[in-house]
Amino acid sequence: MSEKLMVKGTEAIAEAAIRAGCRNYFGYPITPQSELAEYMSRRLPQVGGTFLQAESEVAAVNMVYGAASTGKRVMTSTSSPGFSLMQEGISYIAAAQLPCVFVNVVRGGPGLGDIQPAQSDYFQATKGGGHGDYRLIVLAPSTLQEAVELTYLAFDLADEYRNPALILADGLMGQMMEPVEFPEFRDLKTLPKHEWALTGCNEREPNKVTSFNIDPYELEKMNKVYQEKYLRIIKKEKRWENYMTEDAEYLFVAYGTMARIIKTVVRKAREEGIKAGLFRPITLWPYPYEELHELSEKVGFVLTVEMSAGQMIEDVRLAVSGRTKVFFYGRTAGVIPTPNEVLEELKKKIGMVKV
Amino acid sequence: MGTKKLNTTVEVITLKLKSSDFGNERIFIFLGPFGSGKTELSINFALWRKKLNKKVSIADLDIISPYFRVRDHIDFLSKKDITVIAPPKEFMHADLPIIPPKIMGYITNTDYELIMDIGGENDGAMVLGMLKDHLSEFGYTCFAVLNTRRPFYRNEDSILELLDRLQSSAKIKINYLINNTNIGKETTVDLIEEGEDLLKKVSEKSGIPIAFSVIPDFLDSEILIGSEKKFFRIKRFFSNDQIDQEV
Repeated sequence: MSEKLMVKGTEAIAEAAIRAGCRNYFGYPITPQSELAEYMSRRLPQVGGTFLQAESEVAAVNMVYGAASTGKRVMTSTSSPGFSLMQEGISYIAAAQLPCVFVNVVRGGPGLGDIQPAQSDYFQATKGGGHGDYRLIVLAPSTLQEAVELTYLAFDLADEYRNPALILADGLMGQMMEPVEFPEFRDLKTLPKHEWALTGCNEREPNKVTSFNIDPYELEKMNKVYQEKYLRIIKKEKRWENYMTEDAEYLFVAYGTMARIIKTVVRKAREEGIKAGLFRPITLWPYPYEELHELSEKVGFVLTVEMSAGQMIEDVRLAVSGRTKVFFYGRTAGVIPTPNEVLEELKKKIGMVKV
Repeated sequence: MGTKKLNTTVEVITLKLKSSDFGNERIFIFLGPFGSGKTELSINFALWRKKLNKKVSIADLDIISPYFRVRDHIDFLSKKDITVIAPPKEFMHADLPIIPPKIMGYITNTDYELIMDIGGENDGAMVLGMLKDHLSEFGYTCFAVLNTRRPFYRNEDSILELLDRLQSSAKIKINYLINNTNIGKETTVDLIEEGEDLLKKVSEKSGIPIAFSVIPDFLDSEILIGSEKKFFRIKRFFSNDQIDQEV
C-alpha cells in the first residue's frame, strides 16, 4: 500500500484498474464519469498502455471485444445511456467468454437522464441488459477505497471465469472525493496466461474466439458451459456486508451509495433506541439470497431503500420468500434520500406494523 | 506554541492574514488543477473579504465540471450579502460551459471586490484569456491552488510544468501559490507541512511566492499559533459529512 491520495471516485477506479494490470482502455466520454476517460488518457501512456477514444459507445464495446480476445486486461467506462448502447457487444463478449471490465456510473434515467446519482440501472446490470442467457459479475462499491479494491478484484474475477465484470457505481461515487490508498502495481508477468487467447499462431494450432455455432446442438453445448460456470460463480463469489444486524429488529437492505447513507440512518435509529441493521449486497450478481433470507427470518420487517423506483427489491423479495414483510422507499431522477428522511420512513413503517 | 483557544466557526477563518497581504487589487482569481480546492477556497475567501469590505461578488466561471460549484451555494452566499455571478437559474444543472456575461460589469465596477472561481486545468483557465484585457486594465491577484496529494502533481517538475501551462492558457500571470494539501477528513498538520515543503521548492524555482497554507475547520490548529507562517482556516462546504454522519 502506498500513501493516501485525495481522489475522485472516477480517478480511484481508473488508477486501480491500471494497478491491476489494465493497459487498454476504449471509451466515449459522458458525465458523470468523463474524468475516468480523461485520467486514462493521461495515465495510460505513462505506463506503456493504450487509450483510445472511440467514435461512440457501440464502437468502444467492440474495441473491448477485440482487445479482450487477445487475453490482455481491458476496460471501458460509461454512464447509463452509454451503457445501453454497449449491450449488444456485452452479450457477444459474454458468449465468447472473454474477460474484461465495464464501469457504469449510473445517472438518473430513464431516457437521457440527468447527471445526478441514481441506482436505476440495477435491472439492466443484473438481469441481462443485452440479449440471451448470460450473466455479468456485478460489483457495487460504497466507498472509494472499496471501489479501488473491487476494481482490482473485478479484473481477477473476469480472468478466472472468462467472464465480463461490471463495476456498478452512481454519480456520487463517481464524483465525490475521499482519501484512498492504492494497492501495488500488479507485475504484468504474473497475470494469468490464457491458452485460448488470440496471440498469433505461428507455432501452434489457431485459436478461435466466437460467440456462435451454427449447429443448434453445438450451440446448446456452449450455453451449458456458460450455465455451469454461472453456478460456480454463484457458489464461490457472493459478497455482502452485515452492519449491526446481530440484534436488529428491523433490517434495511441497500447497496452502493445508498447503503452508506443507511449506515448513518442505522446509527441515528439506534441512538433513539430503534434496533435497526443493514444488509448490504456487494455482489449484485451473484446476489446473496441465502444470507439475506437467514437474516430476514429474525426481523420485524425488511425495508429496501434505493435511488430508483424499486428494482433490487425484486431480489430482496425472492430472498425473503414471504418470511417477513418487505417495504420499499426510494427517490428517483438523481434525488438522494437524506438520512433523516429515511429514518422518518422507518418510524412510519414501525407504526404500521405495530398497529 | 501559543495557548490561545481558536474559535472554529466560520466567523474566524484567517490566521495572521491582513487585508493588504496580497497587494491592493480588488480582483482575486483562483485557478489550478481539477479537484485542488479552488471552489472551496473561493467561497471562504469571499466570506473573509466580506468582513473587510461592503461589496463583494463571487463569479462561478467553472466551465469544466458540472459538480461542486459555487452556484450550489448561491442561497447561503446571497444570505451573507455576497453577490453570486453564475449562469441563469434555468441552466443551473445544465452540463454546459456557460460564461455569465455579467462578469464584465463586475470586473469594471470598482465599487465591488470580485472573487473569480475558475474551472480545472488549462482548459478551465482558458476563460481568463477572453477577459485578459479587462483584467490587465483593472488589476488582479491570481492564486494557483495546489493539493500535493492529488494525482499528477506530486513533484516539483510536474507542478512547474502545470504553472507554465496555466499561465499560457489563462494569458495572465500567477502571483501566488496556495498550499491546499489535504486528504479530506484525515488531513493532519504534518500532511499540510509536507505540501508546504514541496511548494517551497516550486516557489524557489518559479519565483512565485506562497500566499498561505489552508487548514480545515476540524483540525486543532493550536500548534500553528506560535508559527510565523501564514494560514487560512476554511469551513468545508463540499464535505461528505452529511452522508457519513457521526451520531
